[in-house]
Amino acid sequence: MATPGGPPAMHRSVAAIRSPPGPGSSQHHQPHHPSTPSRPIVIPSSSFGSPSSLRAEEDIIVIEFGNRKLNVGFGGDAAPRGCVWFGTDQQRRVGDFRDWQPEYRYDWRQAANMWGWGRDHELWQGGDIRGTDLGLIGDKVERTLRDAFTKYMLIDSRPRRMVCVFPSGLPIPMLSAALDSLFSRFQPPTISLLSCPVALTVGAGVRSALVVDLGWAETVVTSVYEYREVQTTRSVRGGRYLVEQTHKLLAKHLPDESAAKSNDGGEEDYKLSFEECNDIATRMVWCKPSKATKAFIASPNKTEGLETLVEQDESEAPAPATSIERRGRAQIPLLSCRTPTTLNLPWDELAEPCENSFFDSQYSHSSFDDHELPLDLLVYRSLLQLPLDVRALCMSRIIFTGGCTNVLGLRRRIFDDVSQIVQERGWEAVQGKAFDQMQANPKLKRKGARQATTGPTNVASQTPPDSQEQDGVWHDAANVVPEVDPIEEQLKRGQDKRPRVQGQMRAIESLGSWSGASLTTLLKASTVSTIDREIWLQHGAAGAHKIADVDQKSARQSLAPGGLLRGTNTGSSWTLGIWGTG
Amino acid sequence: MAPFNPYTFIQCPCSDSSPLGRPADSNSPTGSEPEEDERTFDPRAPRSNYSLYPLEYLLYCEDCHQIRCPRCVSEEIVTYYCPNCLFEVPSSNLKSEGNRCTRSCFQCPICIGPLNVTTQETKPPDPSLLTAGNAPHSGAYALTCSYCNWSSTEIGIDFDKPNGIHAQLAKIRNGGEPRLTAKERKERRKELSHRGDSAAVVAAREEIDGQALDLENQFANLKAFYSSQLADPSAGDNGLSTLGDLGFSSPSSLSRIMSLYTGGKLNDNKAKSRLGAMREALTSDEGLLVTDLDESALISQLHLSDHCDTASTEQITNQPPNLGEPLLHGASRFTSSLRPIPYLLRTKRSKRCPVCRHIISKPESKVGTTRFRIRLVAGSYIPSITIKPLVLPNPSGGSSSSNVGDLLTPLTPVHYLLTFKNPIFETIKVTLATPAATPGRFASKVTILCPQFDIDANTDVWDEALKDNDRGDKSSRSSGSHTRQRRGTEAGLQLEVGKIWERGRNWVSIVVEVVPASLRLEDGGMLREDEDVLEIAMFVRIEWEAENGGDDAGISSAAVGKDRDQKEKRELAYWCVLGIGKIKQT
Repeated sequence: MATPGGPPAMHRSVAAIRSPPGPGSSQHHQPHHPSTPSRPIVIPSSSFGSPSSLRAEEDIIVIEFGNRKLNVGFGGDAAPRGCVWFGTDQQRRVGDFRDWQPEYRYDWRQAANMWGWGRDHELWQGGDIRGTDLGLIGDKVERTLRDAFTKYMLIDSRPRRMVCVFPSGLPIPMLSAALDSLFSRFQPPTISLLSCPVALTVGAGVRSALVVDLGWAETVVTSVYEYREVQTTRSVRGGRYLVEQTHKLLAKHLPDESAAKSNDGGEEDYKLSFEECNDIATRMVWCKPSKATKAFIASPNKTEGLETLVEQDESEAPAPATSIERRGRAQIPLLSCRTPTTLNLPWDELAEPCENSFFDSQYSHSSFDDHELPLDLLVYRSLLQLPLDVRALCMSRIIFTGGCTNVLGLRRRIFDDVSQIVQERGWEAVQGKAFDQMQANPKLKRKGARQATTGPTNVASQTPPDSQEQDGVWHDAANVVPEVDPIEEQLKRGQDKRPRVQGQMRAIESLGSWSGASLTTLLKASTVSTIDREIWLQHGAAGAHKIADVDQKSARQSLAPGGLLRGTNTGSSWTLGIWGTG
Repeated sequence: MAPFNPYTFIQCPCSDSSPLGRPADSNSPTGSEPEEDERTFDPRAPRSNYSLYPLEYLLYCEDCHQIRCPRCVSEEIVTYYCPNCLFEVPSSNLKSEGNRCTRSCFQCPICIGPLNVTTQETKPPDPSLLTAGNAPHSGAYALTCSYCNWSSTEIGIDFDKPNGIHAQLAKIRNGGEPRLTAKERKERRKELSHRGDSAAVVAAREEIDGQALDLENQFANLKAFYSSQLADPSAGDNGLSTLGDLGFSSPSSLSRIMSLYTGGKLNDNKAKSRLGAMREALTSDEGLLVTDLDESALISQLHLSDHCDTASTEQITNQPPNLGEPLLHGASRFTSSLRPIPYLLRTKRSKRCPVCRHIISKPESKVGTTRFRIRLVAGSYIPSITIKPLVLPNPSGGSSSSNVGDLLTPLTPVHYLLTFKNPIFETIKVTLATPAATPGRFASKVTILCPQFDIDANTDVWDEALKDNDRGDKSSRSSGSHTRQRRGTEAGLQLEVGKIWERGRNWVSIVVEVVPASLRLEDGGMLREDEDVLEIAMFVRIEWEAENGGDDAGISSAAVGKDRDQKEKRELAYWCVLGIGKIKQT
């Protein structure tokens, strides 16, 4: 399809390009001729015939970079064509078929010794670039993408435009290594960058959202307001932590292997392979419901359990008596320990890794460091730090994403816990005994209220003073009197008559950041930044302008119809978007 | 333990040019590396795994005289086909129907074995039970795996017809529920909206809405919503239609630009109304999907299931993206949520040299044949290297029988024979170089006894046989190319530095002396994978004189005419890695 379509287009475009000098030169002969009405018609047609549109089928490749996997597909599709995980098998030499040899057994201990436990399954180690071989990242990206292109995309090596979705906290050296690899190995004419949270927001159909990315290396809570990331908070409690906790649980229950240990000499750090723990974490680990809702959950649990029994329609389902008997324990076969065994765990304990890695609710909230906040507190705090109006929008558009959403019940638990904190504390930044006393003391109340509002939620201080004096009314986003904003008024005069849902806790589903990016590509909205190949090869990441240097208006990212027009003028001064500021 | 087979890997020269981290980055780990020339290749570095290839994987461009590895060829697709039914798929289908076989080729979601369409025998035997309603029994066929006995009835899916399974499967959810595709959903809705607002219609509409949006529908709804939002304000005179006149000379855009600079009111109102025009999706029609966070049913299902009822990581990664469901999150863990995997299509690709665009590999376009029309494999251009241990009968009489698979004893010198075989029709001059000690934590000492030698041309076998007769009397020529010199046996078992060990028609053997390092770590740590394998990085440089002509004969045949007999000097240099053997762990 490409080849028959190609040449005629080229002929046409050459004619179109050649034609403008024709009338132009004729005008030189008649310099006194006033204006040229024919000229405006010609130039657009030459812009259509520009080399970029010569590529016969312009499929844009959308690549989503994750810590452990790549999603690739064509822009405009609903879902990625393929998803490739980073793993040990890709790091072997080409033609090394030891995986297939019957006597070969993958020695995870050696791999763990070389890379660190499970590190060989990651593309990059989160935000830590110390000791990272950037060239290796480039190589990994290249090989994985080449695999994906051959296996899932079935495309040849003609240059194609690319859209890359990166996590927004990615350090520039890593971003640069990945882009280097893409530009030098796949020759895309341009690469557009999108950030995960924004793509997710687009994929959910909203303009503002609180994106809770329960990712691999860390959990990142990003507030997106009108397609802009306004705030990011993070916690190391992510998937990796969960797998480590799973290992801890399983290792605790392993039969004592002191005999095997003495042969080795030292105590092993890890008794089970990463692959196995990861597998069990995705299969068996679940999350206990929030304490507040537990009582509510407990009663329907049994009846629903019986229902699923009927639905399951499998051979071991028959007698409810046996199933109830079985309920308390879970059998887990383990192969990667010294002596393969089958663990018989109490089923409740399988919720422990999740509990420990995401909540640690046995400790008080004040005992955590900033980098290891439990997730409920993390979400609450990031909501709390948002300006009032942004918070009102974000709290009713919570998007859970990332690999750990697979843990059954985790999303519900976070949601419930956050709601509970909100109910207990409201949106007060200050807490503690003294604060409670002050709240209780009517004499001090007015002063206290004023103090609270001068905290992080400084937007509230702009609200008229009488709205604060409504004593007894809880000052949260839901029942605050909306301030009169001339611009807001003007916006409302447009089409949007229906009220937006705000001020109540609500979780919404997003198609995922890959699909969001695909939508963005389909709609031809401009991305955060678009990098030209030539310019990148000349300057690299150093050539990027700081966002502040570029006209905010043109760099602003929005899904307004003007986006397409703006996309065309980003060529001269490009930025790395949010990545360039760090 | 598996016997160790010696191996050779070749590093494609293209990977040298690949940037080892941008020098602008101050964090670049290569910053402290020595000079480019002095840097030797480390086969142990994690990066080198990405640039090393066995000889069989490499191609060769005859015009650029360069090795081409899979990373440095540009590919073109000859055919798309399904590996299961071997049907060719036109490239236009690929765009619309995806990268998987849309006929009836499926893989088992449990064991990835091929699935067969089989008739179901579990029909009610009593004919009296067959009422008119269920006589054309809906599920007459199922997909079954002949390897692990998995059947699609386990996930509640069966089919009416034995063919076109792909299309049928797209309309069934796991558990047998029918699924509306995006198009059907829209049509159904349109149909209902025409019928007015009777209670039945409302109920039907609710039923459609009640079905949670699956991925495909949500995407379609969102797409429709966004494009309507984007199109709306431009319904007037000034919207996307202005795209055509991006040029500054068009009168309308000129006035627009002028108004931008002068701050005129011409377009201001329009611009403002446009900004606010886009709102967010509010209903599921528009693609908004409120999450149902209640997963207690799934939790209790998990509670009741065994370890084997949940899908392994591998099974989940093999699953194609399921457009027929909303994002499953945790629900995808059950084997009951797995679906048959349509076979991924494959391609036949022809490869070109990225520099001169000459085709260096082109397969036959027919799916059934495995032949190639053009295939310039590197093996017929660069010498192959084979490794075998050299057994020197001990003077003391005790024959240390060392076999290929044996482990090397640390700190005891061993000798290996490297045999270079010349595939081309010219005599080549080979120069070898290797670092004296292997890089890495365990430095074994390596000495190439004869780093420079010539290999005779790969002449016709019969040529040689004829020459053999001629030369019968010229036995005085010591460097005769064909008479094998068994130095080892004749010259008193001595390894002479700078001398070739053995030589044949188009091959030469040389000796490498290796002193394996002791695999003992001071801190008692563990060996990394493959660290006990003794690998030698060797830089190979080949020079030969090729006949001029060929490629540039066409350009200026007259000028070259007299030089045609003249020979052109060519060279090729690359790193290669020789896996010699495993060192015994003490």
